This record gives sequence, structure tokens and C-alpha cells, in this order.
Amino acid sequence: MVRHFLYLTNARLVSLATRGGRISARREFAASAAGALEFDRHIAGMADAMTYLITDLAEEDFRLDAIPHVGAGDRDAILNRKLAQMFRATPFRYAVTQGRESEGRRDDRVLYTAITNAEVLRPWVDALERHHVPIAGIYSAPILSSALLEELDLVFAHALLVTFTPGNAMRQTYVRDGAVKFSRVTPVDLEEGQTLGAMVAEETTRTWQYLDSLRTFSQDDRLEVCIVVHPSDRPAIEPALRDFAQIQYRILNIEHVATKLGLKSAPLDSTADELFVHLFLIRKAPNHYASPELRRYATLARTRLLVGRIAIGALAASVAFAAWNLSRVFDSSEADDKVSRELYTINREYDQISKALPSYGVGGSTMRDVVTFYNGSIRGFPTLPQFLVPVSHVLGAHAEVRLTQLAWQATDEPKTTPRIAPTAPRSSPPVKALPRSIQETQAPGAQEDAANPPFAGGRYEVALLEGTVRVRVNDFRGAVEEVERLATDISRIEGFHADVLESPLDVNPAVALQGRLGERDPETMETRFVLRIVRERRPGGSA
Amino acid sequence: MKHIFTAEGLRKLRMAWALLALSLAGGAGIAWGSHWYLEKEKRDSASSERRLREARSRLDTVRRERDSLHESAEVFSTLVDRGLLQNERRLDLVELVNALRARYQLSGLDYEIGAQRPLALAGGRVFPSVDVLASRVKLRARALHEGDLVGFIDALSRTPQGFFPVDRCVMRRIDVAAVDSLQPRVEADCTLEWVTLKEKRRG
Repeated sequence: MVRHFLYLTNARLVSLATRGGRISARREFAASAAGALEFDRHIAGMADAMTYLITDLAEEDFRLDAIPHVGAGDRDAILNRKLAQMFRATPFRYAVTQGRESEGRRDDRVLYTAITNAEVLRPWVDALERHHVPIAGIYSAPILSSALLEELDLVFAHALLVTFTPGNAMRQTYVRDGAVKFSRVTPVDLEEGQTLGAMVAEETTRTWQYLDSLRTFSQDDRLEVCIVVHPSDRPAIEPALRDFAQIQYRILNIEHVATKLGLKSAPLDSTADELFVHLFLIRKAPNHYASPELRRYATLARTRLLVGRIAIGALAASVAFAAWNLSRVFDSSEADDKVSRELYTINREYDQISKALPSYGVGGSTMRDVVTFYNGSIRGFPTLPQFLVPVSHVLGAHAEVRLTQLAWQATDEPKTTPRIAPTAPRSSPPVKALPRSIQETQAPGAQEDAANPPFAGGRYEVALLEGTVRVRVNDFRGAVEEVERLATDISRIEGFHADVLESPLDVNPAVALQGRLGERDPETMETRFVLRIVRERRPGGSA
Repeated sequence: MKHIFTAEGLRKLRMAWALLALSLAGGAGIAWGSHWYLEKEKRDSASSERRLREARSRLDTVRRERDSLHESAEVFSTLVDRGLLQNERRLDLVELVNALRARYQLSGLDYEIGAQRPLALAGGRVFPSVDVLASRVKLRARALHEGDLVGFIDALSRTPQGFFPVDRCVMRRIDVAAVDSLQPRVEADCTLEWVTLKEKRRG
């Protein structure tokens, strides 16, 4: 990016174009009408370059002051008011705070500076305005001097930087504790027989005397005078300089200074304009004199640059986002390829298995359903003989019990009770409960006669076992106990449970009881009973 | 800053603003387009993943079916041989009952075979590939000894042709006046289902 620096003295205007941090072109114009005209033509070709105007003029005035330490807003208001009071006739004015007083209210120390004669700048600024040149700012070379000393590690309590300016003048800038306090320009106008060194010695001594008259120095203070000169001028200067207790001279080789600042090509003479330009490149300074109105083209140029960068940034971000998305698309595509390969493998295996499936004239699902139905509903379905065999063994152990009737049912509902028609015993006992319809105690068997009763899985087998027990006449207690023993013995069979549904003698108070005892009773009697037997078939096996 | 929004500022910056607008629009378009493309790829990938899952499921199913068929083949073959998948052959049943009656010397046997119907299974269970059909058979048999009746019922349940699960039976003694006479002493009323299956796709 090309940047354009203008270094203005009372006699000359130096135009320095920089590119990439290096000075790429230099041109000087006389501070005259002809020079201004020539500059006008020159600037037409560089109207787009950001322009920095550095002033090194005799008309720059410096004043020191102290103001109360207040907030930033109030301080700016005070400084603007003071500047307007001090430098009413010029728009090119500037104030900078330089720390605080060490005593009293600890006021802020302020340096006011201004180019008191605005007309010195006017032709050049007008030319820049005519060409809509973006002026970044107008900077004071004396104020930049303190930064130059810092870059050169020449930090003293009292320093006087002596530089030579284009147009044959000498600038003396007094810097106290790193802050510029005073500066003056003296034309190099040698008298007959006077050397440059003698002139430098006279002028610096005069400056010391002026500063001393302001009670700047104490008795032990010494002014370090740093003179930047080209080696070609050194012989003319150095012999004339004599150190005193109050003044010590340091001659700085401008080539060494340029090297220290990183300037690639050293200046060819003692003028310090290139040093200040390079110093500005490596150490930015705030605008000193230019008003916002004067800087409006720079503001617009910077805005244009910023907008352009935002546009490029937005495009770059979207391209980066798109690239990121595309990279994920590529990743996804690779995964898809893997999925497709796996899908192909799976489908191939599926086809192979399907073709190799054994065929039994029916579909695989038919075969599965047939086998499932058989295993679930038919295979383990209970049978009457399987139920009767263990019960018969128990009955064999009860010789006095005679089986008269058995109603058996395979069901999924354990509360089911089969229908049974009571059988009258061959000989009626002398005492009996009045008959109660057996069906009152039985669950309705509606499903038995339904058109399409559901097919039970046969988890339970329920049976009503009707029989008689023969005991001595009137031994009802023995009959009841025998039937209860029978029920207990049946319940001992694994998976079986038996309850006495009708006892040989129903002694329930809710039932009527009738006894008919004759003159001669037989020796034995048979009493009727009914057992309810439930067998549960456990899943996965028999009962 | 105020100079940016003056007429002069806007005029000098109009190209920059236009460039910014174009860049933002273009950038948004690029970003949206790439995002859309990515989402489309994601949808395609999701579809592929779904198809893969379905294929895996299909493969698992066919593997299970293969294994199941291998395990069930023997059982199925036996069931087919026993006529579970055949239509009812009522003449065979008539002959079977007659044969068993003779074998177990039943003195009387009445039976009634109902019309074939779809058999309602417990819990309302149905099979996708077969219909379960059944004919309800009611028997009344009389014999001299209860062992003959039980043997008859057992033989009917275990017959190698057809499936006849007996789900109800009532056996009772018959009192006879003459103890030494050859009269039935026991009778049974039983109900059973003659179960057959029919493959659905065969109609």
C-alpha cells in the first residue's frame, strides 16, 4: 500500500512516497507559488494515496500550562477552550497532557502548540483539498522528536535534540523527562568566517540560556545536546563544540540513526525528514493539527477500505463455510459408499439364503405358523388318561371309597367347574342334608353349548369327582374324615389340588338337615361326596 | 464519522456499499447453497442408513427363518404326515372310530361331528399364514369296564392321522339290576375338536 508523506518546512516541501514500509520516491518543492503549482501537478498523480503532512515550521508555537485534573470529557472541554483562547487565529492547534505535577493539587501538565500562521500551510492544504486527497493527519515534527530520542535510547532528564531540516534550517527541541517542552527553528545563515559548528554551539548555548532563564535547570542539571548530522558535515561541526558542566554535546551519525530505526537506505545529507517519516512508519502518532473536516477524505478512504475488508471477509467466511460443508459432504459420500457396499453384501447374502431355504411346498411363514400352533396348542394339550392315572393310584389306597362319576375338563380358567348330575347312592344314609341343587354351586357352563367355543390352551384340568364312602352306620365323622384324607392325598400329587365340594354330611348351618332312624339299622352305610380337583400344567412341561 | 453519511460520503462510498451488499448476498448464497447441499447429502445418507437397517433386519429375519425352518422341518414334516394341513377326511374318521370301537369292545357308541368352523383360539390369537379350523365331535360311549373307555379316548387322542384334543369328558357308572349280566357298567360323554390348518394364500 502506497503512503504519501509531506514534510513541510518554511523553505521546502518534501514529498516522500513509501511502499511496504520503505521510502520509494522523494521529491522536493520550493515554498513558493511556483513550487505550489508544481506540487499541484505532482499531487494529481497521487491523489488516492493516504497522505500524512509533517510540519517543521518556525511558526509553531509551544506553551506550557497546568490545568486541574478532571475527567476526560471535562479535560477535553478545558483544553479546547484554552486552545481557542491562546491560538484564536489558526485552526491548526493541538494540546497534549504530559503527566501531572508532583506537588500541590497535582494538576495536569499540558503542552499547547499551534501553527500560528495558517497561511504557511494554506497553499499546500488547498492543493490537497482540490484533489480530494485523503489527509490522514497533520503532525508536528517537534512533538515527534521525543519519540525519536526514545527510539535511540537517549532518554535524559534534560535533552536538546538538534536536527537539520530541508531548506537549510536547524531545529532545536527541548525534551524534559521524555516530554517536549519547547522547540525553535533557526535558519542556517552563516556569517563571514563562521563555521556550522560555531553556529550550532552559539544557538544551543543561547537556547540553554533561555531555558535557564525560565528556571528550568537546577545547579546540578546538565543539558544533553544530541545533534543528528551526516558524516560529511561532522568535520564542520565537531571541532566547534566544547562541553561544559551544564552542556554536553553528543553528535549522532545520521547513518547510524537510520540503521537503528531500520531505515534501509540512509539519508544522503543531514536533513532529518526521512528519519521522521520512518519513525512515523514504525511508531504511529495521533493527528495533531488536522480538523475532522480536513480529514474527511481519509475517513471516507478508511471506511471504503473497511467496507471492502468486511466484504472480502464475508466472502472468505462464506467460502470457508462452504469448504467446510463440502468436506463434510465428501466425508458423507465416503460413508455412503461404505453403506452401499455393505448393502450390496447384505442383499447378496439375503438372496443366497432365500434361494437356499428348504421348500416343503409351503411358505416359510406357513411352516412357522404350523409348528408354532402345534407347539403352543396341541403338543402339550392334556389328556384324560394322564389325569386319571395318578388319581387312580390314590383311590386304590382308599378301599372304602367308590367312584361313581367323573366330570373332567381342559381349560385356561382355573375357576371353571364342570357340570355334573348327582347320582343317588345305592342306600340312603339315615341322616342327610336336604338336597340342594348342585348347579347352584357351579359356574355356568355356557361355553360348552356355544356354537363356537374358544379352544382352550389346557393349562388347567378341572374335574369333579363324585363317589361314595362306606363306613359303619351313623359314623358320619369317620366318613367326613375319610373324604378329607382322600382330598389331602390327591393334593399331594405334584400339580394337583383337591377340595371337598360336597361333604358326606353337610353340616353347614345354612342347610337343612334331616335324620330318619329306624328300629333296626344296617351295619354299614354309604355316603355321597364330591371333590373338586384342579391340575395345573406348568409352562414348558407337564403338570 | 459524520462525513460517511453526508451526500458526498454516500456518493464516494456507493461502490463500496454495493460491493459489500453483493459480497454479503453472494456469501449468504454460497453458505446457504453449500449448507443445502450438505443437508441433502445428509438426507440421502439417512435414507441409505435406513435402507441398510432394513436390509439388516431382512437378513436377520431370513437367517432366523432359515434356522427356524431347519429346527422346525422335522416337526413340520411329521405334522404334514399326520394331516394337519389337509382337508378333513371324514370317512377316515368314521372308519377310525369304528376300528377303535371294535378294538375296545364298546357296547355302544354315539357320535356327532359338527360343521367345520374357524376355531377361536384363547386370547383371540391368529396366525398370519394359516387359518385354524375345527369340527366339534361329541361322543357317548358305553363299556363294560372303565379301562376300555379310557383306552378308547386315549387311542383317539394319539391316533397318527389327525389331531383330536379331548377337552371335556364325563364318565359315570351305570347301575345294573343283575350283577352278573353282560351289560354296560360305565358310560362316557366326551367332547373333542378335530383340528386342521389351512394355508391362507391357498384360499
